[in-house]
Amino acid sequence: MSGAAGAGQTAPPRRHAEWLANPWGRPRFLALFSWLYIVWSIVPVLIAIQFSFNAGRSRSTWQGFSFRWYTSDPDLSVLHNPALRAAMTQSVKLALLTMLIATPIGVGLAIGLARWRGRASTAGNLLMLFPLVTPELVLGSALFLVIVFLYTSVHLGTWAQLLGHITFSISYVVIVVRGRLFAVGKEYEEAAMDLGASPREALRLVLLPMLAPAIFASLMIVFAISIDDFVISSFLAGGAESQTVPMLIYSSARAAPNPSLNAVATLMLLLSMTAIVLGILMHRRLAGGDGQKGAVESFARLEI
Amino acid sequence: MWPTFAAPGLIWLVLLFLVPFYAILSVAMGTLDPIFGAAVPEWNPLRWDATSFAEVMNSTTLQVFGRTCAYVAIAGILSLFIGYPVAYFISRHGGRFKTTLLVLLIAPFWISYLMRMLAWVNLLQDDGYVNRVLMFLQILDRPKSWLAGESLTVVLGLVYGYIPFLILPLYAALDRIDRRLLEAARDLGASPLKTFLSVTLPLSRQGMIAGSVIILLPMFGDYYTPDLLSGSPGNTMTGNQIAFYLQAPSGANRGAALVILLSAAVSVLMIYYLITVARAAREAQ
Amino acid sequence: MAHPRERPASYGWMKRRDFLRSSAAAVSAAGFLASCGADNKSSGSLVKVATPDNPSTLQISDDNPPIDSNMEPEAGPLKIFNWNDYLWPKVAKDFGKEYGVDFEISTFYNMSEAVAKMRTGQVDYDLFFPTPDVLPKLVAGSLLQPLNHDYIPNLEANVWPELADPFYDQNAHYTVPYMVYSTGIAWRKDMVDEDIGARSNPYDVFWDSRYSGRIGIYDDYREAIGMVLTRNGISDVNTGSSKALALVEDQLKEMADKVKIRTTIDGAYAKLPEGQFAVHQSWSGDIIAAPYYMPGDDYGDPDGVLQFWWPEGKGIVGNDTVAIPKGAKNPVLAHHFLNFLLANKNALKNFSWVGYQPPVNAMNPATLVKDGYVVPNLESAILERKALDSDKQLLALPANIDQKWQNVWSNFKSGV
Repeated sequence: MSGAAGAGQTAPPRRHAEWLANPWGRPRFLALFSWLYIVWSIVPVLIAIQFSFNAGRSRSTWQGFSFRWYTSDPDLSVLHNPALRAAMTQSVKLALLTMLIATPIGVGLAIGLARWRGRASTAGNLLMLFPLVTPELVLGSALFLVIVFLYTSVHLGTWAQLLGHITFSISYVVIVVRGRLFAVGKEYEEAAMDLGASPREALRLVLLPMLAPAIFASLMIVFAISIDDFVISSFLAGGAESQTVPMLIYSSARAAPNPSLNAVATLMLLLSMTAIVLGILMHRRLAGGDGQKGAVESFARLEI
Repeated sequence: MWPTFAAPGLIWLVLLFLVPFYAILSVAMGTLDPIFGAAVPEWNPLRWDATSFAEVMNSTTLQVFGRTCAYVAIAGILSLFIGYPVAYFISRHGGRFKTTLLVLLIAPFWISYLMRMLAWVNLLQDDGYVNRVLMFLQILDRPKSWLAGESLTVVLGLVYGYIPFLILPLYAALDRIDRRLLEAARDLGASPLKTFLSVTLPLSRQGMIAGSVIILLPMFGDYYTPDLLSGSPGNTMTGNQIAFYLQAPSGANRGAALVILLSAAVSVLMIYYLITVARAAREAQ
Repeated sequence: MAHPRERPASYGWMKRRDFLRSSAAAVSAAGFLASCGADNKSSGSLVKVATPDNPSTLQISDDNPPIDSNMEPEAGPLKIFNWNDYLWPKVAKDFGKEYGVDFEISTFYNMSEAVAKMRTGQVDYDLFFPTPDVLPKLVAGSLLQPLNHDYIPNLEANVWPELADPFYDQNAHYTVPYMVYSTGIAWRKDMVDEDIGARSNPYDVFWDSRYSGRIGIYDDYREAIGMVLTRNGISDVNTGSSKALALVEDQLKEMADKVKIRTTIDGAYAKLPEGQFAVHQSWSGDIIAAPYYMPGDDYGDPDGVLQFWWPEGKGIVGNDTVAIPKGAKNPVLAHHFLNFLLANKNALKNFSWVGYQPPVNAMNPATLVKDGYVVPNLESAILERKALDSDKQLLALPANIDQKWQNVWSNFKSGV
């Protein structure tokens, strides 16, 4: 769970012979095992993607290639089934809004908690961590009850879902940004202030730019966890219009699904992949002076 | 100035995290409208009534919780046994494949959990690839109904779903270990096994525990995995019970009481984890 | 005209019957939302639960009169609030063409959610599809407007008399009936080498270990417990008797042990035709739609594999309704729509897609099969008029009894 974006060392490149002769562990066995793991983790998804192009209705027997479930089926394809498109729109909308709202709140909280000394700050640090360790079912049902019984003017539906997503996203932002804050230290700000900058200017001109990679990573992570969320979304859902893609998958996987579901999932995957590639490119630019570490690796580190 | 920065976040968490917890308590300790069966939350702690707790604290609940613990424990241990070698390999021997491996390791994060479960639902159909492969290899002589209430399917589903969340922190912990320590151990004559046992393993202990907790907690609240992969009463987990009560017309009190009991049961893990994180944060500072 | 082939299968998970009383597919506001929003002040008038033997009249109050007769229909758009996938959009389109209006269909997944939304007062739907058990609440909360029967001649002309003047809404003050259903047992002839309906007690099949692992019941506590009560000849399918419920609990437990029972929402209409089940508890509308889900793309059941049994007079039946919300912006148009829905032609057309039967006179078992609405082997799933004259209906339960039912179900579902 360490969000230490800056830590870590790069393995020196090894030659093949060295790799085989490696004295530590049993690399060949380990290599085989690891690749098998990767196959196990990826192949089911690839097969699911394959079946999105199935010509027939089966999701377990291949009946030829077609775009039926994307475009050509007049009722059931993603193109022609408004329910599928609505779910995708809802997921993306929630993720974008969550990202845009949770990130600034989280960045503020991270900076505030890191610089502010006092008992309240200790309590804040603890409070901030709780959403991370609370099972989603618990948080989801708590939010559900509070919206039904107390915050009754927030109706179940998109707004409630948005509140829920932001609630569990804030902590992730704090963790990521705080890691970077610790890595940066206070020296740069202090130097800026020694040179006559006000604390506000030091923050704006020095600290925020240095936090940029972490802020950017936060945006990406929040987008990812929001778009993947199922429990909170479904607890706080209102009518049909607040159905997200994971909810769609859950409900239809239990009831007569057809490959259009696989098509929706594939499109969502494409979307995420586009986002991550963009993210890596941006991250590379933002973190340009940051050292030799690859963007991928720093993403790996940033993930919870 | 700094409290101003923290204020929006803190207020948010108070209103949408602490208050909701109070709401759960108030509903669990509240009463039931006798005509409509609606839950009536009791906001005043002096009038709290613990009847709902008594109602759900029965042997059935305990047995289901026992089953949940067993599933979670087995899934957690399996995840660790699968995840550790993978994380170890990538951090230590990734070599020129390291970036590729990492990308593949991260990939599941970008594919929705439900989507990955759905993929397995497809594979595990009676005429799905799993049965075909097993029959081709002559391990099975006729298709097995994997989705008809097999504990094995549910546990493996949990492992499959959550293991990426274990491997990444584990990888980070292993990757942080200073190579010079390993070389020093070697120089002092330790065998590879001994080096692993006395240097790598202890140094990655923190990562192992943190990673395990981070997957165990959500597993305790899982209800969708058994729903999708089984649907049989024999595989019900505590999460399913909670979901049932919360959506039943007059079950909100009891659902809320179960949520609180579950939270209490897993709070040991939660607190342990919080301490770990706090320690890590102090060290980072 | 054919089978519900145009039913978008991807909507299939939300077959409305799934949500009738509980257990939506996803956890949501289900169940207690409506009840928690229930109006305590008006509770006095709501205590009474209508039963066939104890019919109830929903009062019309002076401040909420029906609309006047002979008004011109409004310009629309007609806003429909219905169960997901429970009205063929083509039928609505036909109406739109005839009256030159547009229409919008909003959907809900369970009744509690729908009632909660109605209660917010922030919606202006013209038509709403409630189940009979929530009607007293809706009327007490002034959420519906009384109907002016002058606009709905088809109610008198076409609808089965029992439902044109139903026990839950005497004189049809607020509702017209929409669909009827029964709950029976469906099975596959090719996987079951007996006629389940010919057993001395067909319900025993759910305890027959020969079908272990291939048998399922609905994930719906009302239907499941109702079935066990029926098996034991207990006539009150809404019973609060602890003794009866204890017996049910024992038998459910025995069922779980003996046949590895699975609980589903799509078992009857999707997984049975796919061959994943040999036997499944089944709503009549589910099995009528099931041929669509037979493997392959040729939609149908040419070999007559699917079978259905339901004991008239002993098995569970039910129906649901259409009403006009008080806040409707197009009340005249909505009245016309009710009449349109109850026209024989439109009712049958809608049925061909939905799979659930509208209670109109034009519908009788012989013509439905002959005209290709129902495959011949499923003729037994077609409900006849007199079937609805039954006390085997799942009605709203008082909270304390409801809790007992839930305990039974929860204990069964815990699998211990």
